[in-house]
Amino acid sequence: MTNPNPPGSTRPLDAAWIGGVCAGLAAQLGWPVLVVRAAFVILGAVGLIGVLVYLVLWLLMPGQRDDRRPLGLESHARTGMRSVGEVKLSGVDAGAAFALALVGGGLLWLVQVGGWGLRPFDLLAGSLAAVGLGLVWWQADRTSTREVRTGKGWRRLVAPLARGSAVVIVLVGLVLLAAAVVALSVAQTGLTEVGRLLLLVGSAIAALVLAVLPWLLRVRRALAQAQQDALLADARADMAAHLHDSVLQTLALIQRQAADPKKVTALARRQERELRQWLYGEEPASGSLVEALTEEMLDVESDHGVDVELVSVGDAELTGELSAIVRAAREAMVNAAKHSGAERIDVYAEVDPDLVSVYIRDRGVGFDLAEITDDRMGVRGSITERVKRAGGRAIIKTAPGQGTEVRLEVPR
Amino acid sequence: MSDEQTPAAWRVVVVDDHAMFRSGVKHDIGGHVQLVGEGEDVPTAVAAILTAVPDVVLLDVHLPGGGGMEVIKQVSAVEPGVKFLALSVSDAAEDVIGIIRAGARGYVTKSIAADELIEAIARVATGDAVFSPRLAGFVLDAFSGAIDVASIDEDLDRLSQREREVLRLIARGYAYKEIARELFISIKTVETHVSSVLRKLQLSNRHQLTRWATDRKLV
Repeated sequence: MTNPNPPGSTRPLDAAWIGGVCAGLAAQLGWPVLVVRAAFVILGAVGLIGVLVYLVLWLLMPGQRDDRRPLGLESHARTGMRSVGEVKLSGVDAGAAFALALVGGGLLWLVQVGGWGLRPFDLLAGSLAAVGLGLVWWQADRTSTREVRTGKGWRRLVAPLARGSAVVIVLVGLVLLAAAVVALSVAQTGLTEVGRLLLLVGSAIAALVLAVLPWLLRVRRALAQAQQDALLADARADMAAHLHDSVLQTLALIQRQAADPKKVTALARRQERELRQWLYGEEPASGSLVEALTEEMLDVESDHGVDVELVSVGDAELTGELSAIVRAAREAMVNAAKHSGAERIDVYAEVDPDLVSVYIRDRGVGFDLAEITDDRMGVRGSITERVKRAGGRAIIKTAPGQGTEVRLEVPR
Repeated sequence: MSDEQTPAAWRVVVVDDHAMFRSGVKHDIGGHVQLVGEGEDVPTAVAAILTAVPDVVLLDVHLPGGGGMEVIKQVSAVEPGVKFLALSVSDAAEDVIGIIRAGARGYVTKSIAADELIEAIARVATGDAVFSPRLAGFVLDAFSGAIDVASIDEDLDRLSQREREVLRLIARGYAYKEIARELFISIKTVETHVSSVLRKLQLSNRHQLTRWATDRKLV
């Protein structure tokens, strides 16, 4: 059996005869389960030590049942669209169980007759207590936590009990525990009346606490699980909302603009970028040069329907000088998008210890720098002058038919 | 662009877990290369590649069964001659550097245009490397300034001035031909520089490189 929560062992309830302690230990240690069971039976025969150890381990090891189902089924079960049955018991191997019981009984008889065992009343009290606790805990293990998880208010604490056979089993267990308490106090011969009463009350309280303990533990675990489920549901809702806001809207837009291939490409590209960002999330630091350039890039892309590829090496905080270079870069991108005819613009930003450079390049028609007309003021006014005012320089390399590369530099 | 090649001869296997993407690629490049197989996860990819022994494998980085890196590992153990060109939707540095270090000879994003993809396949098939602008940026970043000086005892740990220039031009969007013109060198020399960078990227045992790829918080 593969253990889904490796640290510490669990009790596999679907392989359990009683509480699944032996099966859990065997899985943890890699021993045959029959060996572990035999060891507990033999130890149990010697002054009930094995029984005590078994009960302690029962409390310490959380129960584990294999109730993971495909997501769809699980969600149907959660929303109550299909019913979920109780845990099915594995068939107890009758032969092996009988043999073990025989060995245990014989050994117990041997120990008692030999005079190394407990006094008869103590043995009786111990056995009654063990069987009683076993019954109550057994029922606790086999009651579904689903009602606890999905119920409301106080009902969810009582709901697991609201079933006939469960109540009978728990009652039988409690009666046995009471008998054990009585037997224990009767067995103590050398006590006064008051002492006997105190012992009776004390052991009764102890028995009750022990009986209730696994129920409390279970409810606590179930509540933690419910909290986790709620978090998961929140995460799913966030994801659905995101898909609705982004992908679904884009798909709708694409259908409406199907006649305009350029628009469709631009929409798909923007969505791709956004989704990739969301999935693989490499966001530039806020208030940084690269973030500002990314924003401008996205803007130019959606305004002009071109593909802008931004590659950056290093990054820096966005100072006033760098803001100037970002605005100049935007102008260069817009120019390339408007006039070059190229479908793709490459932007490369490099931050050196003493220099920040941004290159904006297209493979479009290019132009003759000497013949910049006044309507191309953009180049001179918003690029060259702007960078110069920030203490840097702009170098434009172009020729008709050769594409254009604008290089912006600002010292740091 | 590489006129001396006869691209129709290149035998290519396409590996991607999205059938839609596979058929799209086949439609785009089917007329220019010979498609000899495809795979949708690690086992089917390895089987298809070992059966066909293609010149180039177009390999998705994210793949059920261990990813593209696992495919490269398993194929290289048997057929070290097969060359891989990585394709991905993810631009995450970790993925890119990871697959190159596993042995891929190039990396392009899935939005690449058909003619560029065909050119890239030809380049990889002839033993050269294919760097997208983004990959060039990553490499410059990885090999840039902040190297602890004590660890530079090998050639592998640094890029030459020329290699740096070539990478910077690739990052600026220059094609190999344009780089050759810009630097007054032959295309062959450009290819040699890029292959040399690829070798350094794959062989350098600078732990900064792997650490950079994994825990880099790009600021």
